[in-house]
Amino acid sequence: MQRTWTLWFLGVLSLLLAACAAAPPATEGEATESEAAAPAAQDFVTWYQYDEKNEDPASDERVGNQYLRDTIPLFNEAFAGKWNWVNQPKAWDRMSAEIIAAVQSGGDVPDLYEMGTGGGDVGVFYRNGVMQDLRPWAEAQPWYSEMDPSALAACTGPDGGLYCIPIAERPHLVYVWADRFPNGYPKTPEAFLVEAERLKAEGLYAMTFLGSTAFDGTGTTRAVWTTVSSFGGKFDDGAGAMTLNTPANIAAIEFLRTVVQSDYAPEIAFAGNFQEEEAFKDASAGSFPTGLFGYRYINPLTAPDGTQYSKGNEEDMLDAIAAGDVVLTPFLAAEGQKPGCEISVTGFAIPVGAQNPEAAYDYINWILTPEQNADWVLRPGAGFPALQSTRQSEQFQTPFYQQASEAISASACSPWSGSLERPLEAQKLIMNVVYKLIKEDPSADIAAELQAVEDEYNAAN
Amino acid sequence: MLPFWLIFPTVAVLLAIQVYPALYTIWLSLHERQPAGWEWVGPRNFDRLFKMGLFGESVGHTALFLVGYTGLTLLLGFFIALLLNRKLKLSGLYVTLLFIPWVIADIIVGIVFRLLVVPDYGLLAGILQNPALFPPEGLSVLTASRAAAWVGDFPFPPAPAMIYLILASTWKALPFIILLLLAAMQTVSAEVIESSRIDGANSSQVVRHILVPLMLPTLVVALFSLTLSGMNGVGMVFSLTGGGPGSSTEVLSYMLYTLGWRQLEFGRAAALALLIAAINWLLILGTLRVTRLEERNV
Repeated sequence: MQRTWTLWFLGVLSLLLAACAAAPPATEGEATESEAAAPAAQDFVTWYQYDEKNEDPASDERVGNQYLRDTIPLFNEAFAGKWNWVNQPKAWDRMSAEIIAAVQSGGDVPDLYEMGTGGGDVGVFYRNGVMQDLRPWAEAQPWYSEMDPSALAACTGPDGGLYCIPIAERPHLVYVWADRFPNGYPKTPEAFLVEAERLKAEGLYAMTFLGSTAFDGTGTTRAVWTTVSSFGGKFDDGAGAMTLNTPANIAAIEFLRTVVQSDYAPEIAFAGNFQEEEAFKDASAGSFPTGLFGYRYINPLTAPDGTQYSKGNEEDMLDAIAAGDVVLTPFLAAEGQKPGCEISVTGFAIPVGAQNPEAAYDYINWILTPEQNADWVLRPGAGFPALQSTRQSEQFQTPFYQQASEAISASACSPWSGSLERPLEAQKLIMNVVYKLIKEDPSADIAAELQAVEDEYNAAN
Repeated sequence: MLPFWLIFPTVAVLLAIQVYPALYTIWLSLHERQPAGWEWVGPRNFDRLFKMGLFGESVGHTALFLVGYTGLTLLLGFFIALLLNRKLKLSGLYVTLLFIPWVIADIIVGIVFRLLVVPDYGLLAGILQNPALFPPEGLSVLTASRAAAWVGDFPFPPAPAMIYLILASTWKALPFIILLLLAAMQTVSAEVIESSRIDGANSSQVVRHILVPLMLPTLVVALFSLTLSGMNGVGMVFSLTGGGPGSSTEVLSYMLYTLGWRQLEFGRAAALALLIAAINWLLILGTLRVTRLEERNV
């Protein structure tokens, strides 16, 4: 009896295995008529942080999700019979790790990778041998000469290779509640502290900012870099070494320490999870230095006069700007300096081992056509066009873009990581020490602490 | 040949999911990624790890967390198991209710506990940030800085966030420990306890001289389980504190996660993984040794 059951079991198992096995490829004679009539389009695989299947209107990524929903059919139509766009959505904060793991393990990699340079990804990808050098191909394209040189520089690796094609530039600036600064946003640290004291007397804060060490020190790339660069400081020497202990950096950190220790910034600035935004949303903080793309996430809003902007999406900030309640300005600057800010780009890269690089080339060229470029920049790009001809487009003549453009023109924006080859390590080290100096231990010797971090980083160079 | 083929699937699975990754981790720990490919660096990854300021700090945080987490969970678990062992009415219902935290994922527990104390709008923020209750400025759990260390650089007293992390982790682990200890308690013969009572033992003496020695193997299992989960768990730190404020809740497992999957420093992450594995082994061997000595004394 037992033997019979065993045989039955083995029989069923064999059937199951056979069912799971891949079907044999059809022979020529078996091809259907439709297959013979239309050549099958090859899959063009992309990794975006957006997911066209996510229709949740409350999703943080709703703008990009909708963009993909709208655009995938257009691309497939434009390249009918040649490419079929298949998007594989990835979490924004794990994409880099996944692509490195995929390339290094010889796994499946996409044909095209949506890439931002804000986290120092160019250096990380270069070191890990993950992305293809696109310079020879890019230089042969008609749009290359129209690219903003600084955007191309942001995609350039230490060896001069071009490891991404920039599509949108994302500078940082300051979102300001106009009513909190009736005389305009202060232009110097001294003027800022005067205004901050006035606001404090009213029970308000002059500024909120990402002051926590969350997300592995991404705060380094935001208000900390904005402040440091506005004081004429830098994090590197231009040759790959970290330089923290400099008079300009010390002055910048002393300024931030004063802001924090004098309660000119709210406690929630240090809570992590981007909760510092809450203080700007309810106007308890008068200003917020952050990325241009922050408008996507900072909503709903309550203006100082009680006006509600409560659609709960990116339109709230745009409406507040159009109404004059929120203005975009450059950060303050120390004497003799221009306001500083971070600038990064978003665009595309082609991983090593991509199956269809030709599809990626077609896609990039398609996105850089006048019909598609502005749309990409406005929606998933959330920044300024890297292609200078697109900047004249009507879509960029709104109050939001005009104010942003003026703010950026008045600033000296540069990538925070400079020549540092391990930017992810550097940003965590820097944010940890800045947090310690401005919040945790305000009596600590700034120069000594900065020197210790500088030495720790440089020891591994 | 038959025994070989019978054992082969198990061995193959073990080789694939245990031995190969372990060997690969060792290989990774001795290499560093360069643009041209992997480069042999010998013990350099370990050397760099030891020179990281955050490493020493994380060892201290981990020690503190483990002592607090295992101690509090075992103590509370034992006490609650004692209560449930007293044949209360509806004790089955209590056990069911107590078990709820165990089925919730670490990440979710972290998010819920975080939402309770987020400055300004957390459910408990109004109470905690009240200066009258927590002078002089109220307590903002997620942002309050740690006090100056009492001894050298060892992070004691811990930051409020570390204490909160211990409490949240304890809440999550408690149900399993209660059930484990309750089951062990119920195997202790009633006659033994009754005899000790007749001999004049009071309640604390019964616990100290009867229950604890007889439950020692289970207590050791509980200690193992808590130590390993505390040592290797990342989810709670990730969602509750993110290692902050500053670096005051950065424990070794979280440091490993950030080194490997945020900073993408696979070589150093592998070196740290090996160190954590070694520490796990030392903790287990140490506990076993102490327990054997205890058993002999019993």
